[in-house]
Amino acid sequence: MTYTSFLKSELLVLWRRKQDVVNAVLFFILVVALFPIGVNSSPEFLSPASGGIIWCAAVLAILMAIEGVFKEDYLDGSLEQLVVSGLSLPLLMLLKVVALWVSVVIPLLLVMPLLSEMLSLPSGAFWVLIMTLLVGTPCLFFIGIIGSALTASLKQSAMLVMLLILPFYFPIIIFATSAVQAAQVGLPYSGLLAMLLAMSLLSLVFSPFMTAIAIKASVS
Amino acid sequence: MRWVWFHKLGSPKYFYFWSKPLALPLFCLGCLCLAVGLVWGLVFAPADYQQGNSFRIIYIHVPVAMLAQSCYFALGVAGFVYLVWQMKIAPIFIKSMAPIGAVMALIALVSGAIWGKPTWGTWWIWDARLTSVLVLFLLYMGIIALQNALDDVVLANKATAVVSVVGLINLPIIKYSVVWWNTLHQGATFTLMEKPAMPAVMWIPLLICVVGLYCFVASLVLWRMQSEIMQREHRSSWVKQEVMYNNGF
Repeated sequence: MTYTSFLKSELLVLWRRKQDVVNAVLFFILVVALFPIGVNSSPEFLSPASGGIIWCAAVLAILMAIEGVFKEDYLDGSLEQLVVSGLSLPLLMLLKVVALWVSVVIPLLLVMPLLSEMLSLPSGAFWVLIMTLLVGTPCLFFIGIIGSALTASLKQSAMLVMLLILPFYFPIIIFATSAVQAAQVGLPYSGLLAMLLAMSLLSLVFSPFMTAIAIKASVS
Repeated sequence: MRWVWFHKLGSPKYFYFWSKPLALPLFCLGCLCLAVGLVWGLVFAPADYQQGNSFRIIYIHVPVAMLAQSCYFALGVAGFVYLVWQMKIAPIFIKSMAPIGAVMALIALVSGAIWGKPTWGTWWIWDARLTSVLVLFLLYMGIIALQNALDDVVLANKATAVVSVVGLINLPIIKYSVVWWNTLHQGATFTLMEKPAMPAVMWIPLLICVVGLYCFVASLVLWRMQSEIMQREHRSSWVKQEVMYNNGF
């Protein structure tokens, strides 16, 4: 096994399980749809709130996608094979996040024009929303995968992963939604995007090592 | 300077006998300081010129909020120590400290809400400091939940250590939230270098309360760690001897 073959096989597995990706996107759309139905469907409410609604729904969908990443690998023993493969485990975890990010976030971005129309997001803020998703979601994945690795050996872990990981998502949601809101009212937003990027880069450095520690503890 | 004493503290047995005589004096000192500080602050200190008597909750709110952050800092350091040097005592410390920290964060939130009602006119506001302390409380609860969910001791140790270290990122956010964001919460009451803006008769009891609560929490942690050590090492002969001796056999 090499790093490239690992990445290829990861992507192939995700491609063959298209239903998972479709489910995550459907879940995302359903959560978004809850807000106009449940709270208020007037454009006066939806327009300023749309960034926050989309981000909260995206966070939940990503958590659903990330919570069981290692479950199958743990059960069929391939997680152990990764640990003993002689390749650098943090690097493998990094590739895993890359594959997962591509397979979850790209479909989310593809449905974004539809949703922004449904939530009457001002057209000027649309590209800012896309940018926040692009630079902010890697951080969600990098933090989430630590929680997923910690609970890989547990049978019922979805709730625990949410409890562990959601508090860490607060600052990301705050900065992302304030960037969208700033764009809507014409304020500068590049500083907020830079904060998001900084958090993603920080977690990129930090998380693969923590995930590797957690994986080693889980399989031994 | 030799570091042997420090390395010895990593051994549960040595730590047990080292900490045993410390806990009770610390507890007494903590209670004494808390009693003196609280009575002085709540009864004898003068009322604030702006907030009247409602400011007096500062003698509970500030020490508890400081402890909530200090406990998490200690948790993060212990997690780091465990991940790097695999000291056996570190996960015992994390397990003993997490519930105490959670209680401190909860009291800080509740006392802050009670203080917020007369001064800001609201129990809760989504201000940066308040939200980040709420996140701190949730982090504590997450660590406790993770610790309880994992049956495998080694995995539980590693897992809580990892979360403790990752959660350290929240501390600078809490600390500087009042500086970075222009929010409702007031700035720091104490700073290490400058003279406090309050008159001495108001801040000395506060200082006594803070010191008292640190001692109080330290003694509680030592006791919890001692019982945790007993539980984890229950197969070893020294624990059997200790239990026999304590029961008068």
